[in-house]
Amino acid sequence: MNTADRFFIDFPARIRAIQAEMARQNIDIYLGSRLRTLSWTLDAFCPWRSYVVIPAEGLPTAFTFVIDAARVADESWLDADHVMGFAPMGGQDQIAQISDFIKANLKGGRGRVGIESGMSNYLPEGNITHYEYEAFQAALDGCELVNAYDIIDSLSLIKDEGTINRFREASRIVDVGHQTVFEAIQSGGYRGMTETEIAGLAAYAMRKAGSEWEWSYTGGNEIASGYRTGLAGGACTPATRRKLQAGEPLMVDIHAMFKLGLGDHSHNYLLGPATKRQEWHANNFVSVVDRCLKTYRAGISPASLADEMMAYCEELGCAEYMVPGFEHGIGMMGDEWRIGRNDGPFPFWTNPNHVYEAGEMLICAIQYACPEENIGFRYENPILIRPTDCEWMSKFPLKIETV
Amino acid sequence: MTETFKYLSPEWTAEAHRRLKEQLTAEQMKNVTSSMVTLYHDCPDGKNRALYYGLVNGVVDSLTICEGEVPAAEFVIEGDYQTFASISRAELNSRAALMTGKLKLKGNMVKALSFSSVVDRLNKVLATIPTEF
Repeated sequence: MNTADRFFIDFPARIRAIQAEMARQNIDIYLGSRLRTLSWTLDAFCPWRSYVVIPAEGLPTAFTFVIDAARVADESWLDADHVMGFAPMGGQDQIAQISDFIKANLKGGRGRVGIESGMSNYLPEGNITHYEYEAFQAALDGCELVNAYDIIDSLSLIKDEGTINRFREASRIVDVGHQTVFEAIQSGGYRGMTETEIAGLAAYAMRKAGSEWEWSYTGGNEIASGYRTGLAGGACTPATRRKLQAGEPLMVDIHAMFKLGLGDHSHNYLLGPATKRQEWHANNFVSVVDRCLKTYRAGISPASLADEMMAYCEELGCAEYMVPGFEHGIGMMGDEWRIGRNDGPFPFWTNPNHVYEAGEMLICAIQYACPEENIGFRYENPILIRPTDCEWMSKFPLKIETV
Repeated sequence: MTETFKYLSPEWTAEAHRRLKEQLTAEQMKNVTSSMVTLYHDCPDGKNRALYYGLVNGVVDSLTICEGEVPAAEFVIEGDYQTFASISRAELNSRAALMTGKLKLKGNMVKALSFSSVVDRLNKVLATIPTEF
């Protein structure tokens, strides 16, 4: 690892921080299974069911599907001896292999094993399943399994410089994608194009610029046109074969990944000619986004921000079109839902009274939908909370052009 | 009349070592340096036995049969005597035995994947030994 690299992350230090917290909580060994934990500890993308076992001291060992283990070892900071592959073979299935490994790393084969249990609105979260829990409990006779996910959640809340720079780079790449889309659709260039074609144009441009993946589980690059922009709630619009048409809105929500840092920016257009009413909606939306970006800073909470923004929307006369939430969580790949820790009134949902601290990152996410007029807009941009303001990482100009 | 060897006897082991060295080139063995133990449970005399393979630069440098303490090795494959006997008689494929849980493997599965063709070649040679089970 080159410590001078601006994308450098001190993964051994992360592991030592986890181990210190394990010691404080009397946890002898940690069995992580969530995608966010794998990314945060291994620095490798783990699309198959994977685990990381962190002993009380020393290096962690990753376990993944054998056909992908060599690739994970190649990309991770860990060497091949610390990335094991499991397979449906005698003694090599994930339960047998991992429980053998854990027992070998515990004095007398007994101890407290931290696991990651819970629930999420994000499907690829990777909490331990009921079956896995029972199977590990049976295989780890004499061990106590204790839920310890909060160790990772707490430690990963404030982003380090390498992580922030990876997000900045992913956003720079996303802006390349947006510029390419803009150049393709301007002056009527959108005619004859489909949503999937827009998604592909952006993807190609971003890949050329270094993106590894249009990472979003909501369908990669989410492109919506016409009535699909105004679907109530409107939080997921995988591109369809729908043709772009004059007089309709277009939502371009594209995603890039750079070293597990995530770019996620949504930009919106009106495909000309636009009506005065469409422009009124567009102006409302841009005003709300602008106000929101200028409001984010340390010390506020999701609830206080929502109150302030909804009051502003009332002034503008567009409150009925707003989704009254202005954020979602973000971290290295797999950490894409809850803000902060699991300390709110509804388990495993964002605590509305979470007080933002400098160094946290989130996606400023704003959804505007007017189904009865077949129009809607979405804004997303990764932001870094600072003491008195925030840094928005995508620099693509905030406006809704009529093209 | 062809001489037969009692499975896992010192004589069988010596014959196996001779044939492996004679019939397998270093290239065929991928020039591998590693060690493997096949651990046989419930042999006909009720004992457990371990067959240790020491591979150096693609050559079967040592092949020893032992009882009692199992020697340390990079890979350990364990199962019932009858399962191994079936494999040696070519009645059962070793890969199928692993995938049905009749054999258990301990060791780095990623390395084992690249090693599996080498093990196949070893087994093919062992299957040619006139053996009394």
